[in-house]
Amino acid sequence: MTATAAPTTIPLVRELAALLGEDGVLHRRDELVVYECDGYVIEKAVPDVVVFPTSTEQVVEVVKLCNQHDVPFVPRGAGTSLAGGTLPIGGGVMISLTRMKRIVEINARDRYAIVEAGVVNVWLTRALAGTGVHFAPDPSSQTACTIGGNVATNAGGPHTLKYGVTINHVRGVELVTPEGEVVQIGGVVEDQPGFDLTGLLVGSEGTFGIVTKVIVGLCRDPEAGRTLLAVFPTVEDSVEAVSGIVAAGIVPAALEMIDNLMIRAVEAAFHFGFPVEAGAVLIIEVDGVDAALDHEAQAISEIVQAHGGTIDKAIGWRTREEPEYKAIWKARKMAFGAIGRVSPTFCTQDGVVPRTALPHILRFMEGVSERTNIRIANVFHAGDGNLHPIILFDEQDPDQVKRALQASHEILDECIRLGGSVTGEHGIGVEKLAMMPKLFTPDDLAAMTAVHDALNPDNRCSPAKKIPVGGHCIERTSPGRRAPA
Amino acid sequence: MNVDDRSAWPDAPGAGPLGDGRYAAAVHRPTTVAELCEVVKAEAAAGGAVYPQGGRTGLDFGLPPARPGAAVDLTALADVVDYPHADMTITVRAGMTVAALQAILDEHNQRLLFEVPRADRATVGGALATGVCGPRRLGLGRPRDSIIGVSFVTAAGVEVKGGGRVVKNVAGYDFPKLLTGSLGSLGIITQATLKVRPRPAASALIWLTADRPEPLDARVAAFNTSSVRPTAIEILDPSASQALGGPVGLKGGSWTLIVGVEDDADSVAWQVDRFRREAGVDFDVLRDEASAPLWSALAAFQADDAPLACTASLRPSRIAAFLAGLRPGRWASQAHAGNGVVRMRGLGEWTEGEAAEAVDAARAAAVRDGGNLVVARCPTAWKPRLRVWGEPRGDWALGRKIKAALDPNGLMNPGRFAGEG
Repeated sequence: MTATAAPTTIPLVRELAALLGEDGVLHRRDELVVYECDGYVIEKAVPDVVVFPTSTEQVVEVVKLCNQHDVPFVPRGAGTSLAGGTLPIGGGVMISLTRMKRIVEINARDRYAIVEAGVVNVWLTRALAGTGVHFAPDPSSQTACTIGGNVATNAGGPHTLKYGVTINHVRGVELVTPEGEVVQIGGVVEDQPGFDLTGLLVGSEGTFGIVTKVIVGLCRDPEAGRTLLAVFPTVEDSVEAVSGIVAAGIVPAALEMIDNLMIRAVEAAFHFGFPVEAGAVLIIEVDGVDAALDHEAQAISEIVQAHGGTIDKAIGWRTREEPEYKAIWKARKMAFGAIGRVSPTFCTQDGVVPRTALPHILRFMEGVSERTNIRIANVFHAGDGNLHPIILFDEQDPDQVKRALQASHEILDECIRLGGSVTGEHGIGVEKLAMMPKLFTPDDLAAMTAVHDALNPDNRCSPAKKIPVGGHCIERTSPGRRAPA
Repeated sequence: MNVDDRSAWPDAPGAGPLGDGRYAAAVHRPTTVAELCEVVKAEAAAGGAVYPQGGRTGLDFGLPPARPGAAVDLTALADVVDYPHADMTITVRAGMTVAALQAILDEHNQRLLFEVPRADRATVGGALATGVCGPRRLGLGRPRDSIIGVSFVTAAGVEVKGGGRVVKNVAGYDFPKLLTGSLGSLGIITQATLKVRPRPAASALIWLTADRPEPLDARVAAFNTSSVRPTAIEILDPSASQALGGPVGLKGGSWTLIVGVEDDADSVAWQVDRFRREAGVDFDVLRDEASAPLWSALAAFQADDAPLACTASLRPSRIAAFLAGLRPGRWASQAHAGNGVVRMRGLGEWTEGEAAEAVDAARAAAVRDGGNLVVARCPTAWKPRLRVWGEPRGDWALGRKIKAALDPNGLMNPGRFAGEG
């Protein structure tokens, strides 16, 4: 293994260093290995160079150099993608946006903020504290993930049930196109004539260019809220209650399920006080105007009890800063971090089913677990029908890896069969490219490819992501170590 | 299927209106998507153009049709595909009227989240293609926020879908949003899946007047610290106030702030009371069923037949100054004040020159604020001078690339949308 970049990229490295300075470029093999994967660890690919631009102008120059040298490039934020969204397929230049981290403007009166792509989600939340408005998307990785990354994946989080996902809160972006031009898409003002390019860009996983700035819309804080912790003897009871709540016409701000395996892991790690004997717990949150919330909380309690559950905790709050409130959500959002205590390796899946199909899919997953002899833990956005089964396995055991992948595929196939999707918020990335033909017809994919090729004609920008586009498919197996499938 | 010559515009009445004084060479009314695909292929082969139509409530919207072609009437594709009401989603064909859709939702006490004028005629496909919405957009969002799945027939005569039927889904490109508001220029919407919500138990509209717009602006700003959580915040100029207040028994004719709240009965009562205490003034209130006619009138304001109408977009904090800068007596204006949208209706007679001068001035003010001004209605002959889609935007170049990719021969509603004129 050499300590320097491949010979073909040496002139490019020299030019990038001249542009960004020595501290804006990584090219030694030992430095690059950190960037060989993101939160999706099954595939790996090492970039030839990683660059750290600090301005849109620098991103433009980097993109132009990549075009001149005919090398692929891929943007990366915090690298929290769970689908390989930042994997540098075919090598090339990884453009890290983490040094573009300024909050450019906050305008609470007009309910928007302008941030650079590398601003971490929770930084904006903190900057907005006390203004009366907030940025609604709150993925579990919000203390690490960047808003540029949220835009790339159309990220969600627990509170999307009532408030919507990232696209519902983005008014515009500054985009560096794959050709290296800067285009302002949308703007601070809500309605702009022309196609809803913001709607197309958000969730496009970097395949239309590099987003350098984001104009986000801000929501008025709720006047008050109630957060309930409901405890159930079995998972089935809990998801029946979820279906009951939604069917009763209640739209909670959040509705999250945690099963016994995860409750134990979270308790061992954080000692929050979750009942470790429970089959499942639901975190049920309603918010809005205080005067309406007691009725809603009461109605929810009745549905919980009708499904064999009990209300273990009920927190009434005025702001999301109250300690008891923060503790319960910290426990929920840190759940993924606690799973390491249970299994050496895990893979977090991301499927979606119609909410009323939750009881069915949970029973189905139990069957999968038994058939494949692979443990599956669950902590997910139940109110959205967005599953996050956590497949537990040992990556050193090839047979377990094989069975884990089989379990994943069976669950996602069932989501499709139920009219759902293979990803609700993590993205297609590289992980789920092969599943796209199961969700979409050749005509659907041809139309998506036509749009892709119109905006990214040379396929140098984020190759082999989001939709199965020809050209780079051959290269994608060579740089990474693919798990046996 | 063979079609006739498409090289010249037919004389009136042709096979029916296309809008802007143009007439269709033929009208097709497919009863299946397969039939629609054949129609599109046949028109493409004949070198014509395809003009999708629903309830024909917005035929004159946009620039004039550019090439002779056929109208495609979608109203025979009007069935419910799937309504899993407990999931709070519905999938319908595009030709269903919005009123028919709402009637189906009524059975489960649910509602559509965006408001569509002339709902008895306007179709779901047309509403999505134009991206129409009303005052509740503040609390409930725009059509783009409701749509989670779309199917459309492309210029190649094939049906393509994007999104799906579940509320969270990031597989594939977001065609539902790309198609919403694209005015049929990328394809013919055949089917959509929409999020729906329970109908709130109670509703109130607060009607508060002032001599000048500025104090109302201060009240709008106060919602950033208020305990009230409105679904709608509207400002009417004296002319609009007169037009909307009279029919519902309210004293119009002044600058008017309207605050809409919807929730359960206790919450609505509390919010009205709270607003009274915060504002420190008295006002009229329409509650529950009594509020329905005014809600409808606020949504329908944009659908008046005034020969000149514009929609300006700007930052909410600039609304009052913008309204104060319009020539009194020449416009009746409604602002979705929480969203920065102003709907202007021309009053009295206008010449093209007067209209161009007024539109240019108002547009310049909106553009200075990062917004724009679209001419929703004007005589066809004025359209080039009034630049109906507003000041050209830098991102239209990307839009043209997408248009060229999905409709390389300009078959779909040619000439009409932003960036094509």
